[in-house]
Amino acid sequence: MTKAKKGNGKTVAARKAAVKKPAAKKTASRGSVLRRPKTDATTIATVWHSMQTICREMRHVIDRTAQNFLISQLHDISVGLWDSKGTTIAVAVGLPPQFLGAGFAVKALLEKFGDDIAPGDVFLTNDPYHGGHCCHLPDWAFFRPIFYKGKLEFFTMARAHQQDTGGSYPGGYFPNGFDIHAEGICIPPTRVIKRGRVRKDVLDLVWNNVRFPKGVQIDNYAMLAACKRADERIVSLLDKYGRETVLDCVKQMIGRTERAVREEIRKIPDGTYYGESATDDDGTELDVPVSVRVDITVKGDEMTVDFSKSDAQRKGFINSIYAATYGNAFAAVILTIDPALADYHNEGTMIPVHIVAPPGSVCNAQYPATVGASPVNVGNQIMESVLQALSKARPDRAVAAWGKHRGDYVFGVDHRTNERYVRTSFDYDGSSGAVAGFDGYQGVSCLTALGAVSRGDVEEMEIRLPWRLVKYEMMPDFAGAGKWRGGPGIYWAAINQGSDSGIATGSSDGDEVQGFGALGGEPSPKSRTYIVHGEEKKRLKPHRLDTVKTGDMVEKFSSGGGGVGNAAERDPEMVREDVENELVSFQAAREVYKVVIDPATLRVDERATRALRAGH
Amino acid sequence: MTAKKATKRVSKHATKRVCIDVGGTFTDCLVLDESGELTKFKAATTPKDPSTGFINSIEKAARHYQLSLRGFLSTVDILIHGTTLATNTLITGTGAKTAMLTTKDFRDILEIRRGIKPIGISLYNIFIPPNRPLVPRSRRIGIQERTLYTGEVVTPLNEQQVAESVRTLSRDGVESLAICFLHSYKNPSHERRAAEIAREVAPDMYVTTSCESLSMWREFERFNTTVVGAYVGPVVTNYLNTLTARLKDGGFKGSLLMMLANGLVQPVDQCINRAVYLLDSGPAAAPAGAIYLGKLSGQNNLISVDMGGTSFDVCQIKAGQVPTTTERWEGDQRIAIKMVDLETLGAGGGSIAGIDALGLLKVGPQSAGADPGPACYGTGTLPTVTDADVLLGYIPHDYFLGGEIKLDLELAKKAMRVVGDPLKLDPIAAAEAVFKSVNAAMADKITEVSTKRGHDVRDFVLVAGGGGGPSHAGFIADLLGMPTVVVPSVAALFSAFGMFAMDPGEDYARSFVARVATLDIGAMNKLYEEMEKEARASFKAIGVPDRDITLSRTADMRYVGQFHEVETSVPSGKLTRKQLDETVAKFSREHETLYTFGMPWQPVEILSLRLKATAAKAPFALRKIEKGGRNASAALKRRRKCRFDGKDVETAVYDGDRLKAGNMFAGPAIVEETTMTVVVPRGYRCKVDDFKNYVLTRQ
Repeated sequence: MTKAKKGNGKTVAARKAAVKKPAAKKTASRGSVLRRPKTDATTIATVWHSMQTICREMRHVIDRTAQNFLISQLHDISVGLWDSKGTTIAVAVGLPPQFLGAGFAVKALLEKFGDDIAPGDVFLTNDPYHGGHCCHLPDWAFFRPIFYKGKLEFFTMARAHQQDTGGSYPGGYFPNGFDIHAEGICIPPTRVIKRGRVRKDVLDLVWNNVRFPKGVQIDNYAMLAACKRADERIVSLLDKYGRETVLDCVKQMIGRTERAVREEIRKIPDGTYYGESATDDDGTELDVPVSVRVDITVKGDEMTVDFSKSDAQRKGFINSIYAATYGNAFAAVILTIDPALADYHNEGTMIPVHIVAPPGSVCNAQYPATVGASPVNVGNQIMESVLQALSKARPDRAVAAWGKHRGDYVFGVDHRTNERYVRTSFDYDGSSGAVAGFDGYQGVSCLTALGAVSRGDVEEMEIRLPWRLVKYEMMPDFAGAGKWRGGPGIYWAAINQGSDSGIATGSSDGDEVQGFGALGGEPSPKSRTYIVHGEEKKRLKPHRLDTVKTGDMVEKFSSGGGGVGNAAERDPEMVREDVENELVSFQAAREVYKVVIDPATLRVDERATRALRAGH
Repeated sequence: MTAKKATKRVSKHATKRVCIDVGGTFTDCLVLDESGELTKFKAATTPKDPSTGFINSIEKAARHYQLSLRGFLSTVDILIHGTTLATNTLITGTGAKTAMLTTKDFRDILEIRRGIKPIGISLYNIFIPPNRPLVPRSRRIGIQERTLYTGEVVTPLNEQQVAESVRTLSRDGVESLAICFLHSYKNPSHERRAAEIAREVAPDMYVTTSCESLSMWREFERFNTTVVGAYVGPVVTNYLNTLTARLKDGGFKGSLLMMLANGLVQPVDQCINRAVYLLDSGPAAAPAGAIYLGKLSGQNNLISVDMGGTSFDVCQIKAGQVPTTTERWEGDQRIAIKMVDLETLGAGGGSIAGIDALGLLKVGPQSAGADPGPACYGTGTLPTVTDADVLLGYIPHDYFLGGEIKLDLELAKKAMRVVGDPLKLDPIAAAEAVFKSVNAAMADKITEVSTKRGHDVRDFVLVAGGGGGPSHAGFIADLLGMPTVVVPSVAALFSAFGMFAMDPGEDYARSFVARVATLDIGAMNKLYEEMEKEARASFKAIGVPDRDITLSRTADMRYVGQFHEVETSVPSGKLTRKQLDETVAKFSREHETLYTFGMPWQPVEILSLRLKATAAKAPFALRKIEKGGRNASAALKRRRKCRFDGKDVETAVYDGDRLKAGNMFAGPAIVEETTMTVVVPRGYRCKVDDFKNYVLTRQ
């Protein structure tokens, strides 16, 4: 309970990163709530929406110009706006671990460069440590300070998952690295553009340390263009409304958001709520699960999310640094806050919520721990445990676990062009979990991406890569049942028509540990991956490295999300519809949902159903 | 004198041309007669059978000319028609019972839909209902067949299974069928054969294939587009058949041209089987009208806006070209055909104002629509944008639609308290907040549309159409710093007017994936020639000779590795290597304009070749109005109290019918016409041009 006290809640790392600022900032924004606003509500709303639009435009620029499948088509991108002190202003589009904690990096940048930051500068970093606060090495971030009439006012950032970041194997998701340096090039906050002039020698050093340097170069230009565009747009916004007005609008928005979030927290009964989740293993010590445990203590209008009971950091690559934990935990908290506030989250959301993770925990890993898989594992576990705890605290906003990410990296040679390729994708994920009131959404992948990423097209994949799809369909009875069921699980199979290739399942999880169901809903089922070589079928677990030979088939059974509420309370008509759509079998309808359906007419046998549900 | 000359010039038309736009509430009919006179008619839309409202509007026109319907129709040579029927059928979910035949083992492409959450829903909102595809899983049938991306067939089509499936679907009451196989853009033989079988087995079923809907790679986009077409197809086809029959019965012998989503028009029989192209038919015409009006004053960088009752459509026009996109979402449906690039904001005269979760004023997207309508109409109780317009004195409560409808100021005031009280504002101040807030949202939308393309909005002229456009446009322009606003005299029938300005034509596209450095120019030329041949044949069928056809080629290009293309224009005729290299340079420049950078060191590839074939429209000219001096005082109708920037101002009100070309007056001022009210804000000067467009210029 002592941890609930403000200020004490933060870890050493967080406190160090935050440098005395939180206290000052808190008073400032609280003050603004009490003060009579001098900017009218229309202007506040207008400036606010303009900033959201700028973020979307940034993503659009990257999306249109990048060359990396993961960035352009699947949107593994985050962009946002921070103020000159690292206060979060606009985080409209992105992946939680990539950007909700990026304020720490801005603060570290200010600490490192101080007054030596000029208009037209751009800084690059991908380092989880040394002031980068980056969740793992492939997620490179460009930070651009935005000056107005000579004064630093904002920072913008574009962060995206690069095709390669060096290290022992392509792609950045391979297990068993010796330490962080084995995972790739570590770039501390580094100035790559000085007053508008590209420091080509510095960038060449960076690009020289990755595979596919030309591709990465294109993607970097795309990200730099997005930052430049944001700078132009923000300056014209300041021109239009004036510096004082824009800054006041930002302050007012943060104040309003904070007030609304405090109201939401106040609706939760005071007390401590527990949640836990585990990843199958850490990729080095095999088949031993790693657990994240959280106590969420609510007192009045503040909330402390405490990961102290979680496992210690591991030799394997599933360690999460504090900024990533912070981003994931926040995202989970935000999901259970009134959806009407969904468009408004900013620093104001973060003020009444304290995220605690002791250094050396798997949720606050210290140098030189490997972190490659952490956006998925234990990032997913951080979100799951928080959602599990909050589903108990606010049953009306209960959220079940989503299907686990079933990603892999394949690296080989495409015989058609004799070029090397790396393939990764969200194509073989399942679906999201149910929420109180709705079934899980179909096909959206990966809780830690919140549906910001997309899947590819079959035709595009067959044209671009030496793989032929065999089957790609939803599977019956392969999601958590419930009053509201999880989105369906998905079956995916494809044949390797390229060279013998490496396959790394670092971004997979969920062969053993299942995602939770909420309020009595069933958990998300176990997933499986196989390599089929002629008659032989070999199981491929998460966090492993293996080989797929030419002609082999990779087969994935990726489960859907967990359910919410008791399956026997599901509306029989919804069960009937699922049976008609071959998403639920007659047998499961009867045994799990307690609904009897006549196979000849496909109608609900109401009498038999009533009897079955009454327990006869 | 000039007016007379103009009349003479256009009087060479021996026949009339008519454009009819069937909207949600009104059917607009514009007639250009033998004397060059443009006359407006409005009739109520009849949702059950829109052809009734269509004929009613023509009957109104016939009466105006003292002719019978038959007599009138026999003098019409071209009838261009836009309808929101397809869009409305889609939005309201009232389409046909539709099924899908698709490649076995891939029947969920439509439902997995690339894992995309609904567009416009925040990342942080997961309390949303699951996706409901237009075709449920139980009616998506996997057919044994498989073609590869090379066009090679690895599993032949199981024709027996196709026949059996169609028989079953037909028995289950399925009205429409979409046939969607993988890689059919490369080899359409399976789809075509399956369609043949389906038409044989179920002659009453509406059958459409993905290769004829959109012959492009990327199956989710192609399949979904096809299914949308199948879903709206039967409704649209029935309507068009009824309409053609009624017109024929009425003695119409001219050609009926349909307005298409891509901003072109096409004879009705050519689009009856490709209903998806009739989405946005109507709104897609507005930009052409704006371009026409822009040309009159030598402007070709325009922003065309259309503010109706529930929505605000924005289209940015650069260098006089109607922009198109292949990335449209209509609600939850992805439509990948080329469409006029309109962006829509849920804000219009009927938009309801309220207070949001953070205590801020919010206008729309909920709308009071036509029923109950704005509070001042007498039936609604919630404050709308129109109520704000009326309370501020902009829209005359005693002269709405020329006095046809009396508006109730007290009811508007009462409703405005819903937002005024929590904000501690009196109703008039609240009305001004609503007015400013909706203007800001519309201005933001314009910025978004414009900046997305990398253009500075201040370099553009705002052309304002729709019922609400004339009252709001001046203020929007002021917010954006736009120097010029054009409010056309036909603003209230803007889409119908746009149809006059439209060129008949069609878009063609072929997938052609090749790197520029190594591509086979012969093959590329051949594809262009093939499309050109097709276009000529298509025009020949409607009597357009080759010499009247304009063919423009483009290619979708990108740097090797990128995923998105920039459509770049390609010279016509037999293409040479040198011309190809110049095209690449043009692409690089375009890329830099759009995205702040180019990559001249990076190789470039082509993904698709496109051809736009148009025939010049029959010439038409707007009639000039009588010339007058600068002084507009002869048209001064009255002075009215209006609210501008928190202050009540006795505002000059001009009678639109009495204004003459050359008249000028400064804002704040108001022009009252029967179908619209133009508000000239402070800081703008209004000049009436020769064609009775109101040109507002920032001082």
